[in-house]
Amino acid sequence: MAKKVFSVIGKRTWRKDGVAKVTGKIKFTHDISLPNMLYGRVLKSPYPHARVRSIDVSEAEKIGAICLTFKETPKVKYNERLVSVPEATYKDRTVLTDKPLYVGEPVAAVAAETEEKAQRALELIKVEYETLEPLMDPEEAMKPGKPLLHESVVVADRVVKVENNVACKLEISEGNIEKGFGEADVVVEREYKTNRRYHLQLETKTVICKPEIDGGVTVWCTTQSIHNTRILLHQIFGIPLSKINVKKAALGGSFGSSIQTNTIVPICVALALKARRPVKLVYSREEDMHDHCCYQVILRLKLGAKRNGLLTAGEMHVIVDIGGHQIQAYPLLGCMAGWWVSLYKIPNLKYKGIAVYTNKVPSCAMRGFGNPQVTWAVETLMDELAEKISMDPLEFKLKNYVGLGDIFWGQGPTVKSVITSCGVEEILRKGAEMVGWNKRGEPREKRGRVRRGIGMARGFHTSGAGGPLAGQTVDYSGATVKVNEDGTIDYLTALMDCGQGDYDTHAKIIAEELGVPLRNINVVLTDTRSTVYDVCTHASRATYVGGAAALKAAREVKGKLLEYASRVLDVNPNALKIKPDEETGQGVIYIEGVPGKSLTIGELASLARHKNWGTFAATVSLRQVKCPPHFTGYFVEVEVDTETGVVKPLRIVAGADIGTVINPGLAEGQMHGGFAMGLSMALHEDTPYNPESGDLTNKGFITDYKVPTAADMVDVEDFKVFFVDTHEPTGPFGAKGIGEGATNPVAAAVVNAIYNAIGVRFYELPITPEKIVKALREKEGK
Amino acid sequence: MGEIIEFTVNGLKRRIEVEPNELLINVIRGKLGLTGTKYGCGIGECGSCTVLIDGEPALSCLTLAIEVDGREIVTIEGIAENELNHIQEAFLDQGAVQCGFCTPGMIIMAKYLLNKKRNPTEKEIKEHIKGNLCRCTGYINIIKAIKEAAEKMQNSNVKAISKEL
Ligand code: FES
Ligand code: FES
Repeated sequence: MAKKVFSVIGKRTWRKDGVAKVTGKIKFTHDISLPNMLYGRVLKSPYPHARVRSIDVSEAEKIGAICLTFKETPKVKYNERLVSVPEATYKDRTVLTDKPLYVGEPVAAVAAETEEKAQRALELIKVEYETLEPLMDPEEAMKPGKPLLHESVVVADRVVKVENNVACKLEISEGNIEKGFGEADVVVEREYKTNRRYHLQLETKTVICKPEIDGGVTVWCTTQSIHNTRILLHQIFGIPLSKINVKKAALGGSFGSSIQTNTIVPICVALALKARRPVKLVYSREEDMHDHCCYQVILRLKLGAKRNGLLTAGEMHVIVDIGGHQIQAYPLLGCMAGWWVSLYKIPNLKYKGIAVYTNKVPSCAMRGFGNPQVTWAVETLMDELAEKISMDPLEFKLKNYVGLGDIFWGQGPTVKSVITSCGVEEILRKGAEMVGWNKRGEPREKRGRVRRGIGMARGFHTSGAGGPLAGQTVDYSGATVKVNEDGTIDYLTALMDCGQGDYDTHAKIIAEELGVPLRNINVVLTDTRSTVYDVCTHASRATYVGGAAALKAAREVKGKLLEYASRVLDVNPNALKIKPDEETGQGVIYIEGVPGKSLTIGELASLARHKNWGTFAATVSLRQVKCPPHFTGYFVEVEVDTETGVVKPLRIVAGADIGTVINPGLAEGQMHGGFAMGLSMALHEDTPYNPESGDLTNKGFITDYKVPTAADMVDVEDFKVFFVDTHEPTGPFGAKGIGEGATNPVAAAVVNAIYNAIGVRFYELPITPEKIVKALREKEGK
Repeated sequence: MGEIIEFTVNGLKRRIEVEPNELLINVIRGKLGLTGTKYGCGIGECGSCTVLIDGEPALSCLTLAIEVDGREIVTIEGIAENELNHIQEAFLDQGAVQCGFCTPGMIIMAKYLLNKKRNPTEKEIKEHIKGNLCRCTGYINIIKAIKEAAEKMQNSNVKAISKEL
């Protein structure tokens, strides 16, 4: 097939919001202020598990603060995350609570003229707590007889009793594992424990709510879904959707932390409704770190293989320590199973996932929704297995991977589709060559204080959460494309750009389809009123689903343009084409091989106004009935100082199959950023708890929450990114996602590299210098 | 009780009343409406709030407003006079901006570095921006951008950045 030549797709361009960002002019929610606005503050529980006996706000009210306690807020139970269908949505929280379940859970809120006054008011509130036994360990919490954090939860308006603090569970089995393990020549079983990471998105959670005279509200907030925020507020406050408007602002990173409506959003709305004035509520960094974190899992994995390198059976048992509330742990359990079975073909398998309540900060999706955790375990265990059957791990993986024509689980067991594009082999072969895989040596050959090792891991993530069947996940997007009277284009989408550059991707797709210069596409800062529904920016769906909606709308508009142009030019519309023209700065409608017979889109749009033909515009809603995986592979060289235990990355080779690359600069940036996040998952990040106080030992400070700085990264020329040449037939111009695949296998690659350097495997993250030194001492002590 | 201070912000003389405990970040973002300077932690951990005070980088979240009486401040809004400067252009060329929340602080640090040294090594670049956290880019494209800006300043007949201030 001849390679398609694109006019803007694949070109390096300045991002559309770039000038506003480098000049400091762009407005994040943090930067919005309204006239007559009050400032909100939240009173948070200092105890991990307690009951509020009494609460007295009279002193705070005396200084003029508006105060709110759980007595006045709606009692509707909800789940903040509205991505799943009601039957799969477990609801266990209310706006404020009288039974806090983690240090930091909001029990009251105030609003006052200044933030300082609001803080003073907060300090005047008197709360009497009865402390309850905190459950800080999921395996403890599951034991019979332990106090229940929640007596019951609500699922699709049914009240479901909670037993032994098990929030939800899921079991899946295929084939016969006894038979499968019986056929294996080698079986390896390990227990893994991940860290409890924190997103550290740079903009802390923020919300502004303005009550409107019609009883409605206008809301700006840090969110990945303006529409789901609106629906949740409707569920809680009963305000008609038509009277709630959630407006977009730039979002300062997110990484999954705002898939759900932020906890402070309904609190701020309740404050504003009571105060009848706009209220702004900004979480400090300490508060933000007490608000959300990534799912921490204990994962038992057992895999069996034959000497010929074929996997025969697998068993995975996952315990997820979700913290005090469910932010959709149920779909997580399904997704973790899906990531597992979609890495390698396992003919006989059994999966059991249990999500357990503990008195910790509630956990939510973080770039990969359980995938980095699963991939870390699987990709390191595959390395161990390969060694046991004396096979190169790369060959072992290539023999078993799920690829072209296989079934892929894009969002748990209810969202599956057949893989129609796959560059796994090319990623691994090319990466191996670039990094010098065959020259990496064995751990036992490495000597000296500082030892080098190369590790590899592969992975993927879904692009979108749609499949041929409806499944349990809501997944569709929408777009409006309209041609202005001068030939420029307004594009409206509800989909949020968290920084990765989705708006640029969509703008390029529209420009390419319509044949107009990229600069003529204006991405409108929309709200829920001006857009049709989009579920959320998650599941690396913005390009594959959101981009497909943009393409569909552009295609409809193009049809209309050509139809009217055909009348003006007096030819059949099928004879017409459009291309960008630098001279006029317009899309030009022309007839191939017939010079002189053409007109610009601007001329046509202007004519349409004068002749009263109407506006060329289209609004569409679109579901993709597939969830194609994008694939990645990381080869990482590290240096381990055996005396200090410090691990330093030296060289990275990162390959990806994301289908057609729409924005090369931003796509590479995803790989760099994904690497940094995975690196620190392996080596640095954790939010441990003080077992006495039940609070975070770092108290919410970044100083004690290590993330990579520029000094921790490899040199620019030592980070090689390449994209293999693939085309996803169902994607817009052949494109798939990238955001989560960019990080999923990284931790595993780093851990495999450490093993290659020092011959020690670690099963608990992060792998701190102390752990390395201890392990090496133990090894040498033998 | 407030105190009157006078200082220059992005070339404009300002005279405002501040409380003795008022932080510079709040004056810049709140009273002056220059919201390009970002709040990421409030306690000196992230670098998002970096501004130049008399040409030296400072964390505005740790600086009391009264300390800048009589001094000269440059924020991201004042880094280029009209159009974009080389650093800003290079950030866009290299895809060094994702969410953009760290970007103002990064650009201020890059400007400080390039004012001091026209041709910094990669190591020097990393050292200069290591107090500025970025959670999106993995820093690689930011480092590339600062290199590109340095190169452009060397190879074209550009007036020294310091004069743009
Ligand atoms: S806001 Fe000043 S260093 Fe983070
Ligand atoms: S671009 Fe998002 S924090 Fe740097």
